[in-house]
Amino acid sequence: MAAQGTLYTYPENFRAYKALIAAQFSGAKVKVAQDFVFGETNKTEAFLKKFPSGKVPAFEANDGKVLSESNAIAYFLSNAQLRGGNCVYQQAQIQQWISFAENEVVPASCAWVFPLLGIMPFNKNAVEQAKKDAFAVLEVLNKHFLGNTFLVGERITLADIVVFSNLLHLFQYVLEPTVRAPFTNVTRWFNTILNQPQVLAVLKNYQVCAKQLQFDPKKFAEFQAKSGSAAPKKEAVKKDEKKPAAKKEKEPVEEMDAAELALAAEPKSKDPFDALPKGTFNFDDFKRVYSNEEEAKSIPYFFEKFDAENYSIWYGEYKYNHELTKTFMSCNLITGMFQRIDKMRKAAFASVCLFGGDNDSTISGIWVWRGQDLAFELSPDWQVDYEVYDWKKLDAKSEETKKLVTQYFSWAGEDKQGRKFNQGKIFK
Amino acid sequence: MPNIDTLKRIENFFHLANEKIYNNEEKVICRKGKKETISGFCTILQTLLDNTHEVAKNSKASFEIQAQVQSWIDYASLYIYAGKEDKHICKQLLQELNSYLEDKSYFVGQSLTVADIAVFYTIYDLMKRQTPLEKENLLNLSRWFDHLQQIDDIRQNLEQINFTTIYLHGWATGTR
Repeated sequence: MAAQGTLYTYPENFRAYKALIAAQFSGAKVKVAQDFVFGETNKTEAFLKKFPSGKVPAFEANDGKVLSESNAIAYFLSNAQLRGGNCVYQQAQIQQWISFAENEVVPASCAWVFPLLGIMPFNKNAVEQAKKDAFAVLEVLNKHFLGNTFLVGERITLADIVVFSNLLHLFQYVLEPTVRAPFTNVTRWFNTILNQPQVLAVLKNYQVCAKQLQFDPKKFAEFQAKSGSAAPKKEAVKKDEKKPAAKKEKEPVEEMDAAELALAAEPKSKDPFDALPKGTFNFDDFKRVYSNEEEAKSIPYFFEKFDAENYSIWYGEYKYNHELTKTFMSCNLITGMFQRIDKMRKAAFASVCLFGGDNDSTISGIWVWRGQDLAFELSPDWQVDYEVYDWKKLDAKSEETKKLVTQYFSWAGEDKQGRKFNQGKIFK
Repeated sequence: MPNIDTLKRIENFFHLANEKIYNNEEKVICRKGKKETISGFCTILQTLLDNTHEVAKNSKASFEIQAQVQSWIDYASLYIYAGKEDKHICKQLLQELNSYLEDKSYFVGQSLTVADIAVFYTIYDLMKRQTPLEKENLLNLSRWFDHLQQIDDIRQNLEQINFTTIYLHGWATGTR
């Protein structure tokens, strides 16, 4: 007796199609749960009790049997012909094509189509690779269909249904006529399956692609925005999907290559200092004065213009002074850090000095930046070096600070242990 | 005109009662029915479709399908059957059919119709005469032919034609 039961799925799920098509062939009575809401129903306790993975499609027979995983459900709902009859070899061949469909077709298809649908970040290289994989898969099928009408034997089997269903996205979105031209045999077979009355009964509005879907950054942004709510195709998106690509995807220009995309994204990458009030202190003016005038003039200028409300002065001392050996190496340490935090220089200034000589030296410096907190914490890009320093915020009004600032800005004096000033580096 | 044998086989395929099929004195093919005698290959074939067999239903699925089925039956009886004895015409015919089937699984629509069956019986002995090398140039036709001959009701007592070699050559040559 043909099976009867309920299928849980979101609409237009190609995995659910397998079960529904198989049921059409076998006459199994399957109704799709109408009140199913993806992201809600399948998170309920009752649902998870029956289907611990919480994934769809999921099938519940009228007699209480439950099944998840689309291929298993489709097998359950098939008739003898779809399962390969009595011949074990044919049954094994069907399994072979089902594995092929899952391991070869689906990954390539998803990696190519999902970015275009905007439900996965677009990465030019990844999509190109997916294209290659998809073409390899189609080539295998094309060779097979040159000499065979169907995948296994001379009748439609579960193998045809599963491979067909897993190819649906490719034919719907990307295999426009010129692209599929080399794969005549696959196309012929695909059309034959597609036009079986049992298949048409399930796929009511399916259209083979006339024009390839192009990457549309807006879609991805929209998807990102609503991915909190229950988007129908959400299941496909991996949980561990990385968000940072989102910034790039917003570029409203089509078909840029990866390099252009990165370049275009560059100027828009926000300055982490933008969030902080600008205040009255102008770093550019101060830096100009500091470079062109004697310290006797520039240091009083600094204190005259300094805006203690929006800016702060910090004393940073290297934690591992005892490890310092050659002075040139220590200097490289300082300049290396300056290079890595280059983006900070717009709203920061520092004078970092090396005291002492080879094998007996210390690094410390005076830093000034916008904001009252440690500026390095504003951006992950700036956090490579700062942890090897001890940071102390200085009171901008105190005499002690004035003395320290004067000493470091004029590259003079000694460190706490009395080592003589050796070299200084300015970050501006 | 296509011979009595073809019609008899189609009769068998549909599991119909075997009626007397003969050429009358004007060399027109006739089938002696219960009520009346029908003459002419295409006309007889139409009467054979008057049943509930799946293939009969497929052949009458819509007006378009019906018209296309009719045109292939005409093609089989007028062109294939007439040209069968001429080697050069045959070669061209088979090549024509081969390229027609390049993007199709069946002659009409997407399922088995009586058009396939009529063409199958008409070209059966032609296909039998093809050397492996010749079949290699007719990959699409061979695929279709092999598909049909695997159906017991179609092959009946006919000898199965071997297409094994085309699988060996197939992957190397491609369709075009």
